[in-house]
Amino acid sequence: MSQPTFETAVRTQGVNMFFGEGESRVTALKQADFDARRGELIMLVGPSGCGKTTLLSVIAGTLTPQAGTVEVFGQRLDGLGQEDLTTFRRKNLGFVFQSFNLIPTLTSLENVTVPLLIQGVSQREAEERARIVFEKVGLKGREDSRPNSLSGGQQQRVAIARALVHEPPLLICDEPTSALDKDTGAQIMEMIRTLSRAPNRCVVVVTHDQRIFRFADRIAEMEDGRIRRVVDDPRQLDTTHL
Amino acid sequence: MYRLALNMLFGDRAKLAMLLCGLAFSALLMAQQTSVFFGIMSWTYTPIYNIRSTIWVSDPMVEQANDAKPMRDTELGKVRSVDGVSWAAPLHMSILQARMTDGNFKLITMVGIDADTFAGAPAQLSQGRIEELRLPNTVIIDEWGAQLMGRTVVGPDGKTKTVPLKPGDTFEINDIEARIVGICKVRRAFTGGPFVYTTYDRAKAYNLEARRTLSFMLVEPRDGVSASQLCDRIERETALKAWTTDTVIWDWSDRSLAKNTFWWFWKNTGIPFSFGTAVALGLFVGIAISGQTFYSFVLENLKYFAAIKAMGAGMATIARMLLVQALTAGLIGFGLGAGMAQAIGRVMIEKGMPPFVMFPQIFWATLVLVLGISLVSAIIGIIKVSRVDAASVFRG
Ligand SMILES: Nc1ncnc2c1ncn2[C@@H]1O[C@H](COP(=O)(O)OP(=O)(O)OP(=O)(O)O)[C@@H](O)[C@H]1O
Ligand SMILES: [Mg+2]
Repeated sequence: MSQPTFETAVRTQGVNMFFGEGESRVTALKQADFDARRGELIMLVGPSGCGKTTLLSVIAGTLTPQAGTVEVFGQRLDGLGQEDLTTFRRKNLGFVFQSFNLIPTLTSLENVTVPLLIQGVSQREAEERARIVFEKVGLKGREDSRPNSLSGGQQQRVAIARALVHEPPLLICDEPTSALDKDTGAQIMEMIRTLSRAPNRCVVVVTHDQRIFRFADRIAEMEDGRIRRVVDDPRQLDTTHL
Repeated sequence: MYRLALNMLFGDRAKLAMLLCGLAFSALLMAQQTSVFFGIMSWTYTPIYNIRSTIWVSDPMVEQANDAKPMRDTELGKVRSVDGVSWAAPLHMSILQARMTDGNFKLITMVGIDADTFAGAPAQLSQGRIEELRLPNTVIIDEWGAQLMGRTVVGPDGKTKTVPLKPGDTFEINDIEARIVGICKVRRAFTGGPFVYTTYDRAKAYNLEARRTLSFMLVEPRDGVSASQLCDRIERETALKAWTTDTVIWDWSDRSLAKNTFWWFWKNTGIPFSFGTAVALGLFVGIAISGQTFYSFVLENLKYFAAIKAMGAGMATIARMLLVQALTAGLIGFGLGAGMAQAIGRVMIEKGMPPFVMFPQIFWATLVLVLGISLVSAIIGIIKVSRVDAASVFRG
């Protein structure tokens, strides 16, 4: 077991997570040990149902595991109450979802302001800051468009702007490209990689999509609720079962 | 965050329109049904409005304003001698048949008032003067009656129309001529036909069968004597029943003839029940519709509230957002609905005598109910969102 280094961003040890009781009990994570470093983009891969989303939720502080320790940027999440977890997410997290999860009744720019408004930033300042990020994702001119009038790739770019607008140290992406075609997926991954690059930021990407493995600094392979191994080069992976 | 909440609400025009329609419709239903109910019920004590007097005195067996049990004329002297009475005037009230010149019969409410004081005379005459009632065989009829009892003629264009009765026209009551000398503006009554005013003595003549004709006595207290005080005294000294004539529903006294009439009709006729059912139905449907519409709004946004929650918004923030949305929708819906109810009421009033009384209280009660409904929906929404797992944002 490796010792935590100065550059550790996320660290889970011996995390157990199961759902349901008795007969219908499903174990999603068993003794999951996972590390991610500051400044890296790490991918979580593995067959369907192996626990990727569950582990991501544990790291994000939206699920509390039954056992094990979870440490994110030096803060222990296991044992925190709902209120503290909420505060933790507000300050530290940016989310990118597979299904974008943009609020359809708000304009794109308004969607991007949400994390800032949650932090209590004034409407005006939030809009100013959102505009800057909006430009960075290449959507200048579409501020007032509703998400539904944008293409999938454009919607995911709005979502990236929303995930980064408050400059969170941890960016969490669950299958960010699987609702997109090949080229768009690659563009989105490129964008996540370049925009989220920061010495202190850690990006965790869950994916099935082998076409984007090349954007990862490291790849953690999961199997049956635990991390099987971590590799630096996608070619080291046995991808037949993914 | 509140602006964002409102933008979420206003962002989807179609859904907003449905939500507002639901809320407005229920507000309309509640305000409208209640107003019509009170309008109908206020018709039951129309005589008190049309025959103004501080106190009415009646036979002890009388239970309500339309229920005349005639007394002996000598009772008038007894009442006049009660300490505190400034004056007391006789009043006759009965339902009779009027025979029109074309031979048709119409029911009328005949009111005979004291020819010396004209106590109980209609407050407003649109044609003629009250003093002309002192001429032989004269009556004053209300506007609605003048229209109802008017002659049907075929105009030059071939269409039939009604020419209302006017001063100078005549009809017959029990074969005695009644010549119209005035037209008055009064309220429509729940029972009987139009109001036909004449003098107390002539009413006796028109009403051949009546053994006694003193239906009520109109009494005015002396300065410094309150109506209820004097009612007590009259009842103690004469064994008659004395009533006050306050009609303001939310603070009428126990002695109020209006109140007793209202409740008499409530207990003894099916009308209040069927209208009460309509009001209850209006409330129920209103609550159901607006609760349901807002609830479905919350359900549709549940996913997004879950995302906002995952992004680090506390439940307090989300609760406030939902409250802002619900109460804003409630206020707008109420405004639309109450406005429509008011407009419909105005049309009803313009079309004639309205069974429509919209108290400010009905307005406020509707507002409170609609906001209450919104509040309950918001609370259900808040509970719903609080149960939603922030982790669910990664699913689906
Ligand atoms: N809320 C839940 N209730 C019950 N079982 C759950 C729940 N969430 C996950 N599971 C179960 O836990 C296991 C791991 O699920 P998880 O979603 O983490 O897998 P995954 O690796 O993300 O799969 P996929 O690639 O299909 O998204 C699965 O067997 C799943 O059915
Ligand atoms: Mg998953």
